[in-house]
Amino acid sequence: MSEAKNIKFNIYNPIITYEHRAAYDMIVSHLQEIFPICNQGKCKALEVSDDPQKQKQINDLMEKVEFFSNSLITITKVFFDQLYRAKQTSSQSISQSTAMIKIDMIERNLLERTCDVRWWALEKAFWQCITLSNNSKSNGKAKSSTNSNNKALKEAVELACTRLEDIRNSYTLYRDLVIADTNGVIIANSNSDRRSKVIGMNVADEEWFKKALETKDGTEYFVQDVSDSKLEDMDALIYCTALRSNGDEQGDVIGAMGVLFDFQGESQIILNDYLPKDQNDQTLEGWFSFFTNKEGKVICSSDETFISSGEITDLPRNHRNLTKAGEAIVSTGSVCGNRSLIVSHKSKGFDEYKGLEWTSHLVLPESAMFERSDTNENFGISPQELMNSKLIPEKNQQTYREIQRNKGDIQLISINGIILATDLGKAGTSFIPIFDQITTTGNSTTGKMEELLSEMSSDMLEQNLKALENFSKQAVDLIDRNLFERAADVRWWSTDHAFWEALQEGSEENFEQAAKRLGIINASYTMYRDLVIADSNGRIVANSKSENRDKLKRMNVSEQSWFRQGMQISRSVQFGVQDVCDSELENEETSLIYCGGVLEEGQREGKVLGVLGIFFDWENLVFPILEGCLPRIKGEVVEGGAAFYVNDEHKVIATTDSENFKIGQVVKLPSENLNLDAGESASGIFTANEKKYIIGSSKTQGYREYQGLGWTAHVVRPID
Amino acid sequence: MLYSTFYLGDTQMAVPIPCILEIGRSFKFHPVRGAPEVIDGIINLRGKVVTIVNLGLAFEEIKIEPSDESRILIFKNNSELNEVADSDTVMETAPDNIGIHVDRISDVIRVESEELQAVPSNMVHPFYKNVVRRGDSFIIILEPSKILNLHETPDHLS
Repeated sequence: MSEAKNIKFNIYNPIITYEHRAAYDMIVSHLQEIFPICNQGKCKALEVSDDPQKQKQINDLMEKVEFFSNSLITITKVFFDQLYRAKQTSSQSISQSTAMIKIDMIERNLLERTCDVRWWALEKAFWQCITLSNNSKSNGKAKSSTNSNNKALKEAVELACTRLEDIRNSYTLYRDLVIADTNGVIIANSNSDRRSKVIGMNVADEEWFKKALETKDGTEYFVQDVSDSKLEDMDALIYCTALRSNGDEQGDVIGAMGVLFDFQGESQIILNDYLPKDQNDQTLEGWFSFFTNKEGKVICSSDETFISSGEITDLPRNHRNLTKAGEAIVSTGSVCGNRSLIVSHKSKGFDEYKGLEWTSHLVLPESAMFERSDTNENFGISPQELMNSKLIPEKNQQTYREIQRNKGDIQLISINGIILATDLGKAGTSFIPIFDQITTTGNSTTGKMEELLSEMSSDMLEQNLKALENFSKQAVDLIDRNLFERAADVRWWSTDHAFWEALQEGSEENFEQAAKRLGIINASYTMYRDLVIADSNGRIVANSKSENRDKLKRMNVSEQSWFRQGMQISRSVQFGVQDVCDSELENEETSLIYCGGVLEEGQREGKVLGVLGIFFDWENLVFPILEGCLPRIKGEVVEGGAAFYVNDEHKVIATTDSENFKIGQVVKLPSENLNLDAGESASGIFTANEKKYIIGSSKTQGYREYQGLGWTAHVVRPID
Repeated sequence: MLYSTFYLGDTQMAVPIPCILEIGRSFKFHPVRGAPEVIDGIINLRGKVVTIVNLGLAFEEIKIEPSDESRILIFKNNSELNEVADSDTVMETAPDNIGIHVDRISDVIRVESEELQAVPSNMVHPFYKNVVRRGDSFIIILEPSKILNLHETPDHLS
């Protein structure tokens, strides 16, 4: 017990609860009472026996009792330190994961945005509109503009606005989308409410516009970090790239496209998630979550009153100056007048996407780390089983064993003392109450310590269950957000002129053009295995991957669910999805297929000509999501930890542990974890493959207008 | 009289305190080649050689393995027992010091002679002497001499 010197949470630390201080006083005062009893025993030994050997035996026993009592007093001091340290470590680790989840969530979202803008800039309606506008300006200078030219430009601007609106309707994450000519004059926008203000505005002095014109080719983009822009009243996060002649990725720059991401709306959802709420759904006092940019300025906050956007917070300097990607720091300090735990996690980007060097901060009252939960559900696990489980740090288990051993030793001494006293006959009877008292004190003090250890272990269980719930919620949120994007993609792409033209004309040349267009999309977005167009008879007429072309051309998909759903579509905001299954189209590989209706003349509402089907690269994309949601200790995945998704029939559809939780298997889980309502989370304990697991589960609640497919994410870790 | 109680599995048993010399943790047993299986081995107790009987095996049940909770009850030999002052009850153990290995020990209890009840006829066992009721549970009082002199009843359970 050399740790006695390094005690952080001694009993005078204000964080120690009143109940724990009272328990400490009780244990120590009871143990102190043993010493006079032992002295009394030593004196009595001289009184009742002349035999020096008997006297020595009694003296030895009393000294042993004194030794173990002293040892228990030392353990008691260390014990409270360990109790609080264990809760602190566990709580810090969970808070750190939460801060990381938030920054990871926003980064994944921003990665999608970089794909969007590059693809949209190739849209025919936009480059045609800008070309006409540029021509009309040069003609205007030559004073030879005609009415027909003006009419054509007006129509082109109207079409561009319509197409920008279509994008905004498909991808509801944007506040506005604009296209500007090379002089920086806004020619068209998506948000009709702001159209009169925005069209004609000159943005030539804005950084995003200048940088967009500097992009080398269609693969480049620029993002302007959250800052002022004339385009909006609030701070804007703008993704941009150049518009090029004839929509050619290598063409001359003819203008710029800027898309204004609803950063504040999206961040508010993420920041307010994972924060504890009261009965009125208000975040508890002292809990804050916010993002800062690379200058350390707040860019969005869960509580704008106390921590406002645009300001530098009063966080400790080392939290404001994180430099390395993925760096995290945890400390305690004062925030908004509260003694708080502060956790900061700098973005590490996502895959090749480097991110904007933002940092996620989570602040919670220091006392929240040590609070006891009200529920105290034991899930049918005994305190002893819990104490010996993997959830309890080895150091605490050692203390538990030491207490048990001392308790056993005191019991042994007492009984041997009674044996010795009995041997002394009538003279020895006066010893019996002394040893009885020693037994009683030993039992009551060690009993109290066991009670506290049991309290700690149930708190640790509670914290770990909460952490698994958070991970499962992260897993389901990430897949929902990802699939929302797929739903947005398919709706927008279905309106592409190349597709409806091909299905209307029906010529090989048009189909070739459509296939080329599908190929460009697939090259821009890395998450699809293939994209196909089927005509109204279910015959595949074009696809993105040339190597699949011969095989697919002979195929009829009229009986497949995604095709039938697609043929029911009559509005461009609709889409269909075929849940994860083995697809004939992909050599029986597991597929998740989204579909959109290709409507006549690319109109928003009309007759369906055929179906666009996009094949999400399910296995390759879902595995990293699940892997990122596995329970970790100090960055390392907990041994035996697993995460898996189940569909609405409770069948596993993706897993990180194909040995214990197989694809297609219905895992026997507690009913609370199986029968969740949309958006609900639960935790519990179950046994599978002769192992006891703790589990956190969350059912999809969808994301924005995407309803989800009724899936549930489960994250588990073995405890024995 | 005072009795030291202990457990064999879930069964609480007791032996008279005056018969006991000492109770200790599971000592290191020295195995004895050729000894019956019921003997865990011998130990050195301050110069005395003490044979340890595994009570689990003596009842032909599961062997008790040494653990944090298991204990050894070492009995006085007959001559030590006779020397005990004020011993007003006739008791017998064995000519040698012998110990029994039990799962775990429990409280010391005082039992008055009128509390001792005969073992019900359908659960008679050579090692059982009496039964005592404590609240809702029963404690079986063992006859130490029968356990400690297993060689006298080679077919001890018959």
